Amino acid sequence: MLIMPTSEEVETLVIESVRLLAEDFDLAALQQPNSASALYGNEGVLDSMALVNLIADIEDAVSEKFGASITLADEKAMSARQSPFLNVKTLSQAVLERIGS
Amino acid sequence: MKQIVITGTRKGIGRSLAEHYLALGWGVIGCSRGEPSIEHAQYRHYSVDVSDEVAVIEMARDVKRQFGEVDVLLNNAGIASMNHCLLTPGSTVNSILQTNVVGTFLFCREFAKLMRKAEQPRIVNFTTVAHPLNLEGEAIYAASKAAVESLTRIMARELAELGITVNAVGPTPVLTDLIKGVSSEKMDALLARQAIPRYGKPEDVINAVDFFIRPESDFITGQVLYLGGVT
Repeated sequence: MLIMPTSEEVETLVIESVRLLAEDFDLAALQQPNSASALYGNEGVLDSMALVNLIADIEDAVSEKFGASITLADEKAMSARQSPFLNVKTLSQAVLERIGS
Repeated sequence: MKQIVITGTRKGIGRSLAEHYLALGWGVIGCSRGEPSIEHAQYRHYSVDVSDEVAVIEMARDVKRQFGEVDVLLNNAGIASMNHCLLTPGSTVNSILQTNVVGTFLFCREFAKLMRKAEQPRIVNFTTVAHPLNLEGEAIYAASKAAVESLTRIMARELAELGITVNAVGPTPVLTDLIKGVSSEKMDALLARQAIPRYGKPEDVINAVDFFIRPESDFITGQVLYLGGVT
């Protein structure tokens, strides 16, 4: 059953996913992530493989916790002027939009 | 217990593959557009059109919930249409590309995500000798499998960092529904172009798949293996 989460709940889920990824990939800069933590592109520290893993982890976590099947790397993400993968805040927003759509 | 996902398990080679891995004690997760034809305690069936993106994502989510990790994916589901190119409707072209190319891609994308933590994750795609033999009457089918071969080679590189090998097996004609309706003269002429001129058997395909997925094959990726001596 789909549970519509609040933006805070989604951000918490994203932060936890980033923290676990940072452990797996030994990423010192993301050991204690927060809303402003840069992820991919510009100042982000994730390489493409780490990003792929993070996306898959978050899609899994959203399915488990909120009962929603989302695809983060969709056409909207690919064509967006601002990448949703820039930082925790933009990624959380992208997750929330897809759960609600 | 190892878990193997096989598309197109209702009949033909897919069903033989499913029965083979069930006999070896694997958990088999199969799918087809129709109802299941296999009843076994370790067999789980999904009725899914492999080219339906939403349905494939839902299937992968459910597999994750029920079984956790997946060890092997066999992209066996495929359709063919034997026709002269001037007699092939656009709808047939779309349908073949959707099932053979889009379906293979979607299953690779969604199930590779479930294979990231498996010990020896393997993907085996299915191509055909119709592509290297440039068989007349099979333009769209062969073209769709050429695309599958490209997917195989590039995904092998992209998924190598996740430890997933991606290879393809190219069977010769096997007496299944896929070639029903093709005249025996045509089939004889086709077989004559193989180094070993006989019909393939499901066991031939199983043997090639077994080779790709065995633990010792972890240094083999991006390869296409044609049967029957076709090069």
